[in-house]
Amino acid sequence: MTETVSPRRLRGIFVVFACATLLLSLRVGYWQTIGRGDLLEGATDQVRSDLVVGAQRGVVRDRSGALLATTVSLRSLYALPKRVADHVDAAVKLAPLLGTTSETVRAALDSGAEWLYLRRRLSEQTAKAVEALAITGLGFENEPKRLYPNDTVGAHLLGFVNDDGVGQYGIEGAYDALLKGVPGRLVVERDPKDRELAIGLRTARAAVAGADLTLTVDLVIQNACERELRAAIEKEKATGGSCVILDPRDGAILALASYPTYDPSAVVNADPQALMDRAISWTYEPGSTMKAITIAGAIDQYVVTPNTTYEDKGYAIIGGRRLNNALGKSYGTSTVTQILEHSANAGAVFVAQKLGAVQLRAYLDAFGFGKASGIDLSGEATGDVRPLAEWYPVDLGTIAFGQGIAATPLQLAAAYAAIANGGTLYRPYAVAARRDADGEHRTAPVAVRRPISPETAATMRTMLTSTVDNGIANGASVAHFSIAGKTGTAQIPSDDGRYLDDSYISSFAGFAPANDPRFVAVIVIERPQSRLLGTVTAMSAFRNIAQDALRSMRIQPDRP
Amino acid sequence: MIASQAVRAAPLRRAVRLRPRHAIHTSRPRAHVARPHTTAEVRTFIAVSAAIGFVFVLAMLYLAQTTTVSARGYEAQRLMQVRDELRRQNALLEVDNARLDAPARIDAEARKLGLIRVASIPVIQPEAVQATTATTDRR
Repeated sequence: MTETVSPRRLRGIFVVFACATLLLSLRVGYWQTIGRGDLLEGATDQVRSDLVVGAQRGVVRDRSGALLATTVSLRSLYALPKRVADHVDAAVKLAPLLGTTSETVRAALDSGAEWLYLRRRLSEQTAKAVEALAITGLGFENEPKRLYPNDTVGAHLLGFVNDDGVGQYGIEGAYDALLKGVPGRLVVERDPKDRELAIGLRTARAAVAGADLTLTVDLVIQNACERELRAAIEKEKATGGSCVILDPRDGAILALASYPTYDPSAVVNADPQALMDRAISWTYEPGSTMKAITIAGAIDQYVVTPNTTYEDKGYAIIGGRRLNNALGKSYGTSTVTQILEHSANAGAVFVAQKLGAVQLRAYLDAFGFGKASGIDLSGEATGDVRPLAEWYPVDLGTIAFGQGIAATPLQLAAAYAAIANGGTLYRPYAVAARRDADGEHRTAPVAVRRPISPETAATMRTMLTSTVDNGIANGASVAHFSIAGKTGTAQIPSDDGRYLDDSYISSFAGFAPANDPRFVAVIVIERPQSRLLGTVTAMSAFRNIAQDALRSMRIQPDRP
Repeated sequence: MIASQAVRAAPLRRAVRLRPRHAIHTSRPRAHVARPHTTAEVRTFIAVSAAIGFVFVLAMLYLAQTTTVSARGYEAQRLMQVRDELRRQNALLEVDNARLDAPARIDAEARKLGLIRVASIPVIQPEAVQATTATTDRR
């Protein structure tokens, strides 16, 4: 007997199949039309990579081409813990190479992460040693690292680059926009082995490398500067110090040092206090080094000459206050030149009274005190010269010998450079040239103003030379060279407005050769243990730096 | 007569017998009529074959080209990696060179060797040099 399917059931099956076919057709139609973009995007995402191509940060060199800062790709070690067969064995092998304990490495491997860095930016030797272990599940990835081959030398001048690749302090901070370049972009399809496909989607915008900088700094002088500053501070058990050396002919920085210092490659370990650049970001009362500025103003105004005499009683009365010479010494009848030779405070007050407060304030302004010098480094302090309206009568006397105003060592160096070069104040600068895709761009020196006449400057050079040859600054003399300079010992103001007992800041400002100055140096030592004798150490540091600088710059002796 | 009859009859018989019915249609007259059809088919066949062959060759060329470009791409990528690694090594060597040239390192090495800095640098006066030269010249 044959079974037959009823037409009704057949129609039902037909309807079911027809509906299913219709639904499927609609779905296919949807994915082929409206949903096409999503499908295409999903498929493309599986093979496409969109990367930011980092720009190479510019290189920094000294004026003779010696490398000061560069960026190199270092290998970072990562791990895929699930692929590392034996965590214990791997940890034991890796720990000594990474300079850590095996427990630390094992904890990282056992952390449950699918992917993690074990150590970033390894040294090349360490990376090779780890590579030689051939542990499955470990790999390397290149990451840029800013390197400073001279370690701590020039740290404050150069600044550093933080973990985000942003320059901080010094040259790195001030020139970050130029140094960092412009990142590029690469959109490309990749095969299952993560290799770029030559055919297919490819969009590339090349990264623009950062500009290379050539500094005005001389690495040999910079090294001498840091070496002598460190030696002076260690000898004096001082809390800190700084040193600025610049070319008086155009204001170019030859060396700039600050102590305590830090390693710009390992800033994370640095004492926050060490990050401060005491040469440009720290102010102090300069003390007797300011007498040269006061006397320069007075000579420029023809109110005194080098041979003008006064009676030095060991003190001066001004504004009802008695201002003493150091150690209360009196020098009797003295000339203005001898004021510098003896560093007589009473003499400085005498000259200031001749000059007057208005003129003294004007010369302080003209020499650049109380405002930023405009150096091309980040973090410069302005110093402090109070407005004339805020001066008490005694301020004319104290400011004449460098108390009651605040200046940076750089400002003092720039002012002495004006005396050294014939009376022109130059804006200090540290970058001699930058080189980018358009070629080399050299920095033109900027003459800010002329605070004193060339004649006054020549007179001051002679007087300051006499201060070294015959006076208090004899410790700075260098055989066969004429040296000009002035010592400075300043008290340190306390929080209550008085001065601290037995705490001083010792300094020396000078230039060489005095007849044709090629460099100006200012050395500052904070709180030397020998107190008033700290200037002896500062002069000694100047002399040693001067010897190295004169030899390095191949300057012929100007004395028999 | 017999001979002549025989001579006449023989060609007739032979003619009739030697021409089977199917031969009439498949011999010369048929070949003569079918020739244009055969030529067209052959031409068509050749043309189609040529077209297919051409397309095949084109496809092969395209495939070969694509494969070559891909292979060259991989090769270029490999060479770029080699170039980048060499550049990296070069940069590291430059840093090493700068470290070795650093005045601070040379100072430290000199101290380790027991060398000390000179207190003052002796300077030869130009007059003394001229006098020495003059004396030498006279000799």
